[in-house]
Formats: sequence, structure tokens, C-alpha cells
Amino acid sequence: MAKYAFYLGCIAPNRYPGIEASVKAVAPKLGLEIIDIPGASCCPPPGVIRSFDKMTWYVIAARNLSLAESLKADVVVVCNGCYATLRDVNIELKENPQLMQKVNSLLSKYGREYKGEVEVYHFIDVLAKDVGINKIAEETPLKGNGMKVAAHYGCHYVKPSKYRPSMSVEYPELLDKLIEALGFESVQYVDKNMCCGAGGGVRSSFLDLSLDFTLTKLQRMKEVGAEALINICSFCHLQFDAGQKMLMDKGLLNFSIPVLHYSQLLALCMGVEPEKLGLHEHAISTRKFVEKFLESSKTKG
Amino acid sequence: MNISLGDRELKIGVFICACGGNISNVVDINKVAEEIKQLEGVAIAKTYEFLCSKPGQELIEEECKKNNVDRLIIAACTENMHIKTFRELASRTGINPYQVLRVNLREHNSWTLEDKEEATAKAISMIASAVESIKFMEPLQPLKSEVKRGALVVGGGIAGITVALELANSGIDVTLVEAKPSIGGHMAQLNKTFPTLDCAQCILTPKMVDVASHPKIKLYTYSEVKDVQGSPGNYHVKIFMKPRGVDPEKCVGCGLCSEKCPTKAPDEFNEGLSQRKAIYKPFPQAVPAIYTIDFSICKKCGLCAKACPRGAINLEDKGKDIELDVGAIILATGFDLLDLRRYEEWGYGRYPDVITSLQLERLISPTGPTGGALLRPSNGQPVNRIVFILCAGSRDTSGRGVPYCSKVCCMYSMKNAILIKEFMSSIDIWIFYIDVRAAGKGYEEFYEKSRKEGVNFVRGKIGEVQYNPSTGKLIVRAEDTLLCRPIELEADLVVLCPAIVPSKSGLELMEKLKIPLSEDGFIQEKHPKIDPVATLKEGVYVCGCASGPKDIRESVIEAQAAAKRALELLASDYITIEPEKALIDESRCDNCGACIGSCPYGAITSQEGIVKIDLISCTGCGACIPVCPKDAIELMHFSRRMLKAMIDGAISKAKFKPVVLAFIEKKIAYSAMDQVGLNRLKYPYNVIPIYVPSTAYLKLEDLIYAFSKGVDAIALLEGRPELIELMKGRVREFQDKLEEIGIESMRLWFTDAPVPSFRKLRDFFEQLKTMAEDLGPPPEIEAIPSEVESHG
Repeated sequence: MAKYAFYLGCIAPNRYPGIEASVKAVAPKLGLEIIDIPGASCCPPPGVIRSFDKMTWYVIAARNLSLAESLKADVVVVCNGCYATLRDVNIELKENPQLMQKVNSLLSKYGREYKGEVEVYHFIDVLAKDVGINKIAEETPLKGNGMKVAAHYGCHYVKPSKYRPSMSVEYPELLDKLIEALGFESVQYVDKNMCCGAGGGVRSSFLDLSLDFTLTKLQRMKEVGAEALINICSFCHLQFDAGQKMLMDKGLLNFSIPVLHYSQLLALCMGVEPEKLGLHEHAISTRKFVEKFLESSKTKG
Repeated sequence: MNISLGDRELKIGVFICACGGNISNVVDINKVAEEIKQLEGVAIAKTYEFLCSKPGQELIEEECKKNNVDRLIIAACTENMHIKTFRELASRTGINPYQVLRVNLREHNSWTLEDKEEATAKAISMIASAVESIKFMEPLQPLKSEVKRGALVVGGGIAGITVALELANSGIDVTLVEAKPSIGGHMAQLNKTFPTLDCAQCILTPKMVDVASHPKIKLYTYSEVKDVQGSPGNYHVKIFMKPRGVDPEKCVGCGLCSEKCPTKAPDEFNEGLSQRKAIYKPFPQAVPAIYTIDFSICKKCGLCAKACPRGAINLEDKGKDIELDVGAIILATGFDLLDLRRYEEWGYGRYPDVITSLQLERLISPTGPTGGALLRPSNGQPVNRIVFILCAGSRDTSGRGVPYCSKVCCMYSMKNAILIKEFMSSIDIWIFYIDVRAAGKGYEEFYEKSRKEGVNFVRGKIGEVQYNPSTGKLIVRAEDTLLCRPIELEADLVVLCPAIVPSKSGLELMEKLKIPLSEDGFIQEKHPKIDPVATLKEGVYVCGCASGPKDIRESVIEAQAAAKRALELLASDYITIEPEKALIDESRCDNCGACIGSCPYGAITSQEGIVKIDLISCTGCGACIPVCPKDAIELMHFSRRMLKAMIDGAISKAKFKPVVLAFIEKKIAYSAMDQVGLNRLKYPYNVIPIYVPSTAYLKLEDLIYAFSKGVDAIALLEGRPELIELMKGRVREFQDKLEEIGIESMRLWFTDAPVPSFRKLRDFFEQLKTMAEDLGPPPEIEAIPSEVESHG
């Protein structure tokens, strides 16, 4: 059983606990042991906090890493922002012993020390390396039956590429493959690798600008008939879900595309009830999509 | 071979030039003459106003004959001036021209100093150094080597074709080897050429036919050069004729075989835009006009053999080895285009409507896959808007591409834009550039014409090319940097102009032949300005894109120049070369081969187990000497004994402190030092130059010897770029070893000394002298017993 310390971040516990629930729902069948990290704090965000005070960024991230280290488990994340912080900090500390020393001297004030003994993985990379596409297909009795969904990788999953597992930066494939393993069609659309608009402090400081990105993405997805948006990042998830509602309220959007985190889609295909995955609590209703999915998977058996 | 001791009675003649005041205003040349006269072996020491003048020459001749002088020292201006003058004077006087030493009292002395006492002291030390070493100079004769009157041309593109014809028309037997099934190269793939808009094939194919029918040219297509041994004037070449499966004598190019062949592959001539059969003729005007079997895909079904009315097919063809001897080799291996799939943001290799410029040439060519109809590769639909992306891979310092400009892309994009506009003016054409480079004859006018035709030029690099599945169009995005705003266009076709890189097969060959390449991977010219068609290897010349990106006109010019340079070598029965070379003492050499890798010019090889130095490729730098465990190599013109004598002479007369010895490589670093003097930059007189063929010649014991005699600091100045990295490492080793015996590593300094960086030498010497002063005299040490005495 591959064991991972589940780093939640902020958005999932505060806004979309369904993402956490989904991961925990699918883990046992896929052979993953997921443990909590008591005392974990905000990651902190790679755009805002790193820009304001880099040492603070290193130290708080190192504290989170040290908690996982004490649990003797590698870290798994469901948010690209947390991924950027924990993974980049981890690599930089390991590559620069002087920096590690400085960080630890500050961490010691809080009675903690990070020795560099954990690795940080994104949830979908864990699925790829510890579970495998075939097993995922095996363990999901309900299939998408060709329903069209739009995959959104986000930014920090692929970049900075020197701190990421080797993959194409312009045309990553893993999420598409994982979606296809569930029987859905992952449609190609223009600006597939464009940012959702949230990160780097844009959502908090320039909301309208961030929503403009979101609007563009949604329009592109609509053009090709996507019935849902599948993401791998809690922040993108928030931006697309809550942001979509904001766009509708402003009168800028007259259609909607339900938003699901891949963990939720995976759990759905394993037969877990939508309510258990928080799908009924999204700002944009997922009901039509879920109903159509359950209906079509019934007829195909 | 014995190197003789110079212990018979010598008569050295020393002549000191006043140089019209340039030297005598700072150096007290009369005092110098007096001091030098007293050295053992000096028969006469005279001064004169202008030694290079006619009366000056006559004075030298007269004095030398009167006093039976047999070795000559000219203390005057830089060695780089009047070289032949003084050598010929020596011959006239009955002195061996290789027993003449020049001491540079101007660029390396008077022009760098103001204080008369200092300049005079330094001059005395410099001449004393020359006096001591000339005692050990050997009389040498120029070497002669036989020349085989044949040439090998590697590569059958426009450059190779031109050089082959030029040489053959001058009566030389030429062997032309081409790796592809036909000659013609990339030029044969082009539609029209800029700026004249000639049809490329129309101007090329007559020359291709000339090559095939020329009585003095032997053409080997579908063949590769496997090995070259020997030396300039006498190269032994091995060629492998790849298995073609078709007998050139029998095949008449009827094509019945190809019709029956069931196997297909992407057509290289059409850059993958169409398919060809396993048995194929590359293009209709191919020379030779025969078919070739691609055995990598051939299924050996035999249908072609059955169909052939002439029985020309041999499916069991294994190829053939050919050997021949030539006097000169001309490399014309051409170029490849950078593989642009690495630039994922442009979608090359992913979207069929993103193509390279060479693919565009084929697309609009009447002999191309669509008969010249400009249609979208994805769906065969007409093209309404084309976007050109210039500098795709060129001028890229990020590591993904190449840092240089590929020179021809601006011009050919305009050319294709004009042609397409002429074909259909309603087609919207956009060219995205960084700079427009149109620097040839008629090129700027051509650019004007393209703008008048309505071609849009945007200064901006395309950041991404995307495909819109709903519209089927491509979307390109860039920043229009002149208008400072983003620009987004829909396009039917995107044409990338890829960086020009050295041809892959060419690179493999250069590796094998040890032909030095320049930093960008192309073949290094002997001198980029004044000897651009010779390589660093004697007898091997280069032309066309093999030495760097260029257009057809320049390739042809270089080919004609290379033919002429090769003719210099091939026109005589033998060649004469300067005898300043390294020589192996066969009685000491055990053929261990340790020296082979040390030669930066590939002059040392092992032939049938015997290690040989090719006296023509050897530049006499001496890098091989310290590497030999048996001390079996010597420089004919600069023995180890001479080196020691130079050091002795310099130190013996250096009555000042500190004493800094600067070992200066004799060609390039010497010229850099000349520049310092020419620019009247001043540096301390305590720096005594010792000129060496290269600093790689020096052994640790030479440095220890100098320190043991009281030298305070040593500087090594190396100008030969091939030796700089080596010397950096070696000097670090020397410094470590010196520390071990108590000499501070700071006493040994190294700098590269390329001519353009001469200014740094002034500071270099200032700092070195200051440091030597601060350190004080070196600790007393013993010199390592020299092997010099025991040699021969």
C-alpha cells in the first residue's frame, strides 16, 4: 500500500470539502493509504506570499513538509498552488544546503526541523505511478460513455518545468488519459493551457480581470460542446465554479458548465453518491451532468 | 636522430636598429651594443638607423661577410614585419635563414616604456636571451612533399558541384562523393531563387549534367567517405558505395520497377509531403537518372526485379568499397534544418498546416506534391492567409535553438511571399520578424517590392500557434512590438523558417577526420576574414553552408575560391613547407601513442602501429612534447636546450628586481603584445618576454628552473584558441605542484591572449609585477636535473 500524507491546503477544507472526501473515498480501492497531517497550515501561496517575503514562504512551507516528515510519508496535494509551493520549496532546500540551514534556524524557533526526507507529488501523478491507468479503468464500473468534458490542467501542474516530472509543457497528456480511462471524451479546445485567472493574487486584487480569463476559457469550452469542466486544482475549481456564478450575476454569461475536480469524477465513476462528494454544494449545479452520466451508465451496464 | 650541440666556435652578429628614433629615443642602443658585444660568441654588435632599408641591408651583408658571421640577430621592430626580407638577406649572406632571431625592441619594448634606463635594461636582457639561445639553433631546410594530382569533393550540392567543375576544367581529376542517390542538394528542392526569381532547377540541372558527363569527374552517388589517412598532397581515401540494388550501367530510368513496388515511405525530396516507393528516383531530373532501392523498408518481394526489362536489379547488393589517393579534399557537406518539434508552442509535427519553409518550396513548386497548387495539407482546401514565422530556432540563446542568424530566411520568405502574391494577390500574407535582413545586391529593393505587393510585416515573435477545432483554422498570437499591442490572427497555413544547422552526416565525417569545428558546430575556417575557404587542416578546404549559413551566390563564390586554393596545392608536383615542426626520435619512441590526443591539429596519427607526425599538418606548437613519457619528440626549430638557454640569457642580464618572465606564444599572443605597443600602452619593464611556439611546450621543470635561478614571477600567455582550455588546466596543476615544493602558486599566472583583448595585458602585467614585489624573492629551491643534457 503506497502511503501518502494528504496535504489539503485551504480552499478544499474551507470551500470544497467534497474534494477531500472524494480522494478519501477512492483511495482504498486503488491501493492508496491516505493519512491526515494534523497541524498543517496554509501552504503558503506561491504567487502572493513568495512575492512578498521569500524567506517566509520557505519557512512556512518547510514547516508543513516537516510535519509530513514526522509522519514518515511523502506528500500528496490536490491543488496546483500547494503543489508549486511544497514541491518547489522542497527541491530548492534540498539543492541548497545553506538555504536549508537558514530555514531550519528559523524553524527551530517553532520547535521544528526539516531534514529533506519527503517528496511532494500531485494527486494525478500518484494515480499514474502508484495505481496506473488500467487499474483505474478496472475499478470504475460506471463509465462516461463518450460524454464530452474539457480538461483543465492549470498552470503550476506543468510549470516551472525544471521542478516537474518530465512532460510536455504545451501539450500535457496525463489528465486527458485519466479522463479517457473513465470513458469520457476529453475534448480539444482553443486555449486549453490558458490560466483560469485566479492565481498570483489576481483573483483577490483584480477580480474582474481574473473573471475575464475564466469567461474566455468557458466560451472556448462551450464552442466544442463540453458538458463539464474537469480540473486538478482546488483554486481553479473555485475560480471556475464560484467565478462562473459571478459572471452569470454580472450578466456576462448565459450558459453554464458544471465544474468537477478529477477526484470527484473518479469517485463518481466508482459509484459513490454525488452528495457524499459535495457535488450538490457547487455554485454551478452539477445535477444535469450527474443525472445524464448516471442514466447513460445505467443503459450501458 | 641526433640533435647536435652547438659547441663549435660560433660567430653571432647582432644588429640593433634605431628605427628612426622609435627605438633609439627610449633605448640607449649604443650602450646595449657595448654590453652585448661582451657576451661569449658575439662577433659583432652594431647599430643602424633603419635596418630594413637598402643601405641597412647592405651594411648587414657586408659586416657579416667580413666577420664570417654564421648566426644573425636583428634587434628591431616586430617579427611580423619584413619576415621574408631578413630571411632572404640571411641566404644572400650565406647564413641559414632558420638561424636568424628577431628581437622586438619596438612593440615589445620602446613603445611600452618611457624611462630610458628601464628600457635599456630590458633591451639588454631581451637580446642576451636571444644570444644564448641562438647558439643552439639548428640549420634547417624547407621540407618537400609529393603531391597527388587529384581532388576529393565531399558533397554534391551547388557548392560541391561548382568546385568539382572548376577543378575538372583546370585539368584536375576530381572524385565527387554524394550521400544521397542524386546530386543537386537542397538547391534542387527550391522553387525559385531570390532576388532574380530564376527557376532553381533551370540554373542547376545543366551543371548537374555537366558533372555527370565531365571526363575528369568521377561521380559516386549514394556513397559515403568512410576514412581519410595521410597528409596534404597525399591523402588515402576510403569510400563506401551504399547498396543501391540497381546497376547504374543497366538502369535506364524507365520506372517500370517503381510502378510495381508495393512499399511506400515518406518522400524526402518533398520533405515528407508525399510518398515514394521503396525503389525510387528521388526527382525527375535526378543525376544519375537511375533508380535506387531503400533497403531499410524493402520487403524483397522481387516485383521490381520481375518488372525490369534490363535485369538491372540486384536485391542482394551489399555495397562496395572503393579506395583512392588524392592531393586535396574539399568539404561541401551543406546543411540540415533544425528539427522544430522541440518548439511545441508552434505545433510543428502536431498540426499538418504548420510547415517548414522547405516544405513550402515543395508545395508551390510545379514539380511538387500538388503540382504547385497552394492547398492546405490538412484538408486540401485553398489557402487564404499565410503566416511566416522568421527566426524559428535562430537567434535563440535559451538553449533550444542556435544563437546565430541563419542569413537567408528573411530573403526567401519575401521571395515566396512575392511568388504567392503573383499567383493570387488576394491571399493575405503576414511575415513576423525580429529584424529584416536584406543586405545583398538587389536585396533591399526586393524587400521594397514585397511590401509594395501588400505583404504585411510585423515585428514580433509568434508566441503560440493553436488549432481551433470548431473553425478548422490555426490561430497565431504575437506582440506587435512596433505598435505595442498584442496581435492575433487566424491562418490557413503557418510557415516556420527553421534555423540552418550543419548537416548531420557532415558532422559525423568531421568527427572522423578530426576537422576542427567552430563554436556553432560548422566547420572552422582557417581565418574567417582572410582565409575563409581553408580549414585548420592543411590540404582540406571548405565551401558552402558547411562552414556557415549562406545563400547560393556566396556558396558559388566560396566554391570557386576553394577550387583555386586547392589548385595552389595541386598545381605543383611537390609542396614546400616551413620546417618548424615536431620530429619523433625513432630511437626513443616506443609507439605508445600518448602524444596522439595532445595535438590540437590532428597531426599525429598511428599508421600500422607506428606513430607518425604529419609534417604538413604539424604547426610546431610543441604541445606534444611534454606529454611523451620517453622524451622522444623535439621541435626542429626550438629545442629544449634552446628554451633553457633563452631563460638563462634573459636572467643573466636582468639586473633589476623583481624579474618577471613572460612566456609568450609566438604567433597570436605575440601579435596581441604588438597591439599593446602599437597603442603605446605602458607596462612595467620587469617583464621579460620569452617567445615559445606555444605555452603547451613548457614543462613544470622549466618553471622550477626559472624560479631556482631567482625569477620572482612567471606569466604564461597563450594565443592559440585550441590550447587555452588545456593550458588553464595545466597551469592549475603546475600551481599545485609549485605549492608542494614551497613556491607560492601566486607566482605563476596565466592568461589567454587573443589579439582583440590586448588591452587587458597591460593591467595583467601591472598587477603581476605588483604582486611579485609584494611577495618578495622566491624561496631557494633546487632545479630538477634536466633531461636536456642527456638528450642525444
